[in-house]
Amino acid sequence: MRYRLSVLLLAASCASMIVVGTSRAEETMTIAVPGANWGEAFDECVIKPFAEENGVAYRLELGNSTTSFAKLQQQRAAPVIDVAWMDGGISEMAYEEGVVETLDPARVPNLANLLPQAVAEKDGKHFAASVGFYSLGIVYNTELVDEPPQSWNDLWDERYANEIIIPAPANAAGIPFILFLDRIWNGKSDLDATFARLKDLKASMYFDTSGTASNAFQSGEAVIGANFNVSAWDLADKGLPIAFLAPREGFWANDGRIHLVKGSKHRELGEKLVNAALTPEASACLADKLYLGPAVKDVEVSEETAAKMPWGATGSIDSLVQIDWDEINAQRATITDLWNREIAR
Amino acid sequence: MKSAPAVVAGLVALPTAFFLAFFLVPLAVVALASLTSGEGDVTFTHYARVLFDSYHWSILGVTFRLGLYTTVICLVLGYPLAWYLVRMVEWRLWRRVCVILIILPLFTSNIVRSFGWMILLGRRGLVNSWLVDFGLVDRPVRFIGTETGILIGLVYILLPFVVLTIGNALAKIDVSYEQASADLGAGAMSTFWHVTLPLSIPGAVSGAILVFALAVSAYVTPALLSGGQVTVLPMLIFQQYSSVFDFHYGGALAITLLAFTLAMIGLASLVGRMGAR
Repeated sequence: MRYRLSVLLLAASCASMIVVGTSRAEETMTIAVPGANWGEAFDECVIKPFAEENGVAYRLELGNSTTSFAKLQQQRAAPVIDVAWMDGGISEMAYEEGVVETLDPARVPNLANLLPQAVAEKDGKHFAASVGFYSLGIVYNTELVDEPPQSWNDLWDERYANEIIIPAPANAAGIPFILFLDRIWNGKSDLDATFARLKDLKASMYFDTSGTASNAFQSGEAVIGANFNVSAWDLADKGLPIAFLAPREGFWANDGRIHLVKGSKHRELGEKLVNAALTPEASACLADKLYLGPAVKDVEVSEETAAKMPWGATGSIDSLVQIDWDEINAQRATITDLWNREIAR
Repeated sequence: MKSAPAVVAGLVALPTAFFLAFFLVPLAVVALASLTSGEGDVTFTHYARVLFDSYHWSILGVTFRLGLYTTVICLVLGYPLAWYLVRMVEWRLWRRVCVILIILPLFTSNIVRSFGWMILLGRRGLVNSWLVDFGLVDRPVRFIGTETGILIGLVYILLPFVVLTIGNALAKIDVSYEQASADLGAGAMSTFWHVTLPLSIPGAVSGAILVFALAVSAYVTPALLSGGQVTVLPMLIFQQYSSVFDFHYGGALAITLLAFTLAMIGLASLVGRMGAR
């Protein structure tokens, strides 16, 4: 009898948790952001000031873009997440899947602040708001590389044999990087030629997560390679002899974006939050903390931050090479398969 | 006593529900995806793609080779360790300390431990600087990005499972069998080979199965220590789910790994049972 009672009690408490859960969700906004310093910076620069101003309670849901996208797909019928950060690429897929809402410029007036390169549009409709750019350039150990190379082709130099790191297709930058090289080498696409050259590269490591890359630079396993400006300067800030440079052929860039979730119960607040993220102040704050290149006009950053922007110390947003994500996604399976067979074995 | 069946049902219901919700349902979702096309028609094309391609067989080969080597090395290292713990340590406190030392790594995340090995095994890592300092090698050995590196990581992570299962089996053996063997004139070696070892085989087999299953399905350790230069099947599966988003092909890969692992385990326990006879 006592057992049955306790099972009943357990069931009852489970039920009550669900009820509490839903009633809480109506009062609290849920915002999906990346983990670690990215989520912290976005919270600090955008969400906290917004919440204080509007008297909103919120809960952060940490996860990378792919995870947040997967959650949105599962929650499609009754979304818990109201606003979600997803990077370029995943953003397009989320819109394609119909889990994010289009943004109305009349209700999100700061969309007008966006630089032309930062507009995420399809059929004339905004489906995301960019909060800043990051790029994949040459990252190197300043103690072990005397004369940093200025060209991607220098990575094939015998001097750097077995000390190079580049992203694998499992990393979000992996496939765009291959297509970028394909473009600068061949003009038009010739994947066979590109893979033949990639096969010649004497790599120490192909990284899947940026944590792996950072670790490799830290332990000296990698001395030079293709990595993100944001990760490189983060390591440099921790006192490691690491620097980033923008190669002369250009470099691939991507942006972090925030999205209004379709069917969110806090649509109006969500729109306000997106709007709040598109101000020069929020952008400058994110640039300072993460070295994200501002996506909105008229952002003033300190000289120190300016040197760490995704376009390098001297470039501008115009030097970023963006590749159409639909083109990338169309070749995703093919390139991954080629990589598996040619490189990763 | 009357309420016993109800109590049992109540007790079993929760784990059953848990097992259903968190294991069988997701597994069924994966299996279903592996058997359907994007349009929802039933198809075997994903399995054909996996099985009629020598590339996948070579990846399966790497995966099972690593699993097998890990299991053998764990058994060879784990048996003497378990023996030492159960038979040779006389001081109880020291035994407890040893057991804690063996279990302690299990409390730390796999990711952290694998990152640790990345640093230790790196070209500028501790292992290589020792090897060079002691004159064992002229220049740093490449561990990261090789099967050897992955093997070291897997053995380290999975060794406790073997020590615990074999230790448990050794502790359960009644000492009077060994005394009887000695009374009948068998030497220590002979007693070990003919009495103790056969009695501890079931523990070794269950430890081996545990290690093998965990090794062939391991993702984190191979992913980190391979440096992207060696591919095992779990990495291929993860790639399909996380970056290519082909859940059908990914599902077929996952079910293939499951089927081959179950077949290997079935074979092993068959051999184990025959050996015990």
